[in-house]
Amino acid sequence: MTRKDWQDFSRGIAFISPWIVGFLAFTLLPVALSLYYSFCDYSLLQSPLWVGTENYRELMRDDDFWRTLRNTGYYAMVALPAGLMVSVGLALLLNQNIRGQSVYRTIIFLPSLVPVVASSMLWMWIFNAKLGLLNHVLSFCGIEGQIQFSWLNHLLGLQGGDMIQPLTMPPPWLDDARTAMPALIMMSIWGVGNAVVIYLAGLQDVPRELYEAADIDGANGWQRLRNVTLPMISPVIFFNLVMGIIGSLQTFATAYIMTGGGPAKATYFYTMYLYDNAFSYLRMGYASAMAWIQLLIVLVLTAVAFWSSKRWVHYQGK
Amino acid sequence: MDEAVPMKYFKPTITILALLAVAYVLIFGPRADIPPVHDRVIVQYWEKWTGNEASQMQKIVDRFNDTVGKDKGIYVQYLSMSNINQKTLVSTAGGVPPDIAGLWDTQVVQYATLDALEPLDELARSHGITQSYYKPVFWKACTYEGKLYALISTPMSMGLHYNKKIVAERADALRQAGLDPDRLPATLDEMDRWARAMDVVEKTSSGRDRIQVAGYIPMEPGWFVSYTGQWFGVSIFDERTGKLQLNHPQMVKAMEWIQAYSRRLGLESMGEFRSGFGQFNSTQNPFLTGAVAMVQQGPWMANYIENLRPEMNRWNMPPERQKLDEQLAGEVASGKLSSEDRMLKWAALVPAEERRAYCSWGFIPAPPAEPGLKDVSYCGFDTLVIPRGAEHPKEAFEFIAFVNRQDVMERLCSMHCKNSPLAKASEKFLNEHPNPYIAIFNQLADSPNAFGVPQIGIWPRVGDEMAFAIQRIYLLQATPKQAMDDAQERMTAAYKKFLDLQGKRGRQ
Repeated sequence: MTRKDWQDFSRGIAFISPWIVGFLAFTLLPVALSLYYSFCDYSLLQSPLWVGTENYRELMRDDDFWRTLRNTGYYAMVALPAGLMVSVGLALLLNQNIRGQSVYRTIIFLPSLVPVVASSMLWMWIFNAKLGLLNHVLSFCGIEGQIQFSWLNHLLGLQGGDMIQPLTMPPPWLDDARTAMPALIMMSIWGVGNAVVIYLAGLQDVPRELYEAADIDGANGWQRLRNVTLPMISPVIFFNLVMGIIGSLQTFATAYIMTGGGPAKATYFYTMYLYDNAFSYLRMGYASAMAWIQLLIVLVLTAVAFWSSKRWVHYQGK
Repeated sequence: MDEAVPMKYFKPTITILALLAVAYVLIFGPRADIPPVHDRVIVQYWEKWTGNEASQMQKIVDRFNDTVGKDKGIYVQYLSMSNINQKTLVSTAGGVPPDIAGLWDTQVVQYATLDALEPLDELARSHGITQSYYKPVFWKACTYEGKLYALISTPMSMGLHYNKKIVAERADALRQAGLDPDRLPATLDEMDRWARAMDVVEKTSSGRDRIQVAGYIPMEPGWFVSYTGQWFGVSIFDERTGKLQLNHPQMVKAMEWIQAYSRRLGLESMGEFRSGFGQFNSTQNPFLTGAVAMVQQGPWMANYIENLRPEMNRWNMPPERQKLDEQLAGEVASGKLSSEDRMLKWAALVPAEERRAYCSWGFIPAPPAEPGLKDVSYCGFDTLVIPRGAEHPKEAFEFIAFVNRQDVMERLCSMHCKNSPLAKASEKFLNEHPNPYIAIFNQLADSPNAFGVPQIGIWPRVGDEMAFAIQRIYLLQATPKQAMDDAQERMTAAYKKFLDLQGKRGRQ
């Protein structure tokens, strides 16, 4: 390294030093400490007490850990594909050359600009069993009466208190343990505007000549979508999938505001339980262990997505 | 045209604009909240209240700063904030806590077990604040393992509020049920019969039950439903034996009582009915709209009624009183009086007994479930604590002691519409309090059956577990026995582990 190289290097380091210091002090150090605390009993108010793997072992025995993991998994498995399908579908519709195209695009994008607290409050009213817009529409369409689950109870051999109770239509959405989670999933679809914009950009990027070639080959609309459009936007779908996995496993605010995790913990998400352990029960060590398990789950799922992407993601020029 | 000419002016113009912006911010921009005193000790006071309650406490702080604080060289800097428990937690852990924090009562024992609070015994003694100064239930709740860790800013007791109009409207139904509408329920069984008689349920076109009015719903508002066992004679935590009693037979009986309401009114009908309720502090509060005839609430209810449904405090009022009321309203309109002072002035001018007659709502102690139990009441409170590591504990306590002076406490409690935690209450306080039923709240807090938050270091976890168990029961997901057995098992293990770990730290 010449003297000038060294000077350039020092200058470069000096310019990015605020970021380096910030990263070390506010990201790397807390991450490292949280790993250490995950092996401790730590309340923030007392010094950490080393307990080895006890926090992890307790998690394996903790009903709420499994319950919140199940709830989060349920949400992710339904909301994520549903969100992907709706956003791709909307992007395809908005990609059509029709009058007022930009107006429709704006309308679809607008909900994603609404702050999460405001949209949650709005949806609480939409889902209100007595005064809600959704139930008024369902009643207007004649969707009333009771859904009996006797066949399901019989099939699953459920008896007494374990039996699935009849569901009155239209349902009390957020007040019923069976419908609260589907309600949150429905609401999540409302905010697909961001993804739609990304898909639209991807769709604009699909080379016209590929469609022309497909036309010459006599492909119909479905075949064009299946063999041209979707493969060509597969990198965008993949990006949204990975971001969606990470986002849905961190769901917190909407459920915290709309249901508080209820009824009877039906919408109690993993991050809500983590938060309660950290700030309400003052079990920061236990919460740290939960955070590391969450990171592990995200890593595994993302790795699976990357591994599977070799089969279905097509990059242009490759 | 040469484009370099405008570019020549570009940089200086931007620089001048930027400098002007900086100068503007420096001259007219926001100022730090620096106390207007330099020769006093600054005491940082963080409080959870916002809105009216915060501004009412600000008046007390101002009064301290202008009187005692001035004499003793102390200035209290008051900061109202949300999530105070987290902020106090993090600042205490970081070694920079406020001098005073206004925590919830549920956190006193939790923080005390973690050595996060300064013991106040010496300071309290030096100010003449001893056990006899407080009502027993409140003093007990402020102490843990024989040490005093908190004093009170405002307390509460609770009981049954009922809607006199609905009682009058449903008088025939009450009589048909063998009840006397003029004799309020004295036992829980009677209250259940009252509730049933006051229910109004209609059939919809599709044949389902639609509740119009419910006599009573244990989950409305459900804030204190975890303490239902006390009405059946059992506490959540037996401090004598150090054991949780979540599946005690009487606790299970209490939970069966809650579940009976779900079964009687129908889960779906009740769910639909409750979803129509507005928030507590809105005009759609179900007690204020007349959707629920009886609710368990604290003394602040009178305040909300006055602010949200003032007509409920002006029922059958004679013309001369209407005139006085209009006169006070006129003073508010002309800016001579704040709406808060109007309520206090009205209370000062019209005796409590007379005001009760104008209320279309009434208040009685919650009817007990078991014979021999009387005046059972949950007594909660807002605390003033000095977190560990506070910079000015002595000066901080000067303010806490000031708040606990009888005249100041009664003033604050009147403004917040709450009862007093002090052993003695002045006649003025009882007669001129905005809640005309305050004497009953006071009597409840003095009762030997008054109780506070269970004194267990893991109460937030136990409370959440109780809430979950009760939801399972209310939603008919589990039998009361099953739900409470599950809760007992989980929380007993959690408490044992907590004690083991505290033991390892050298603390039992």
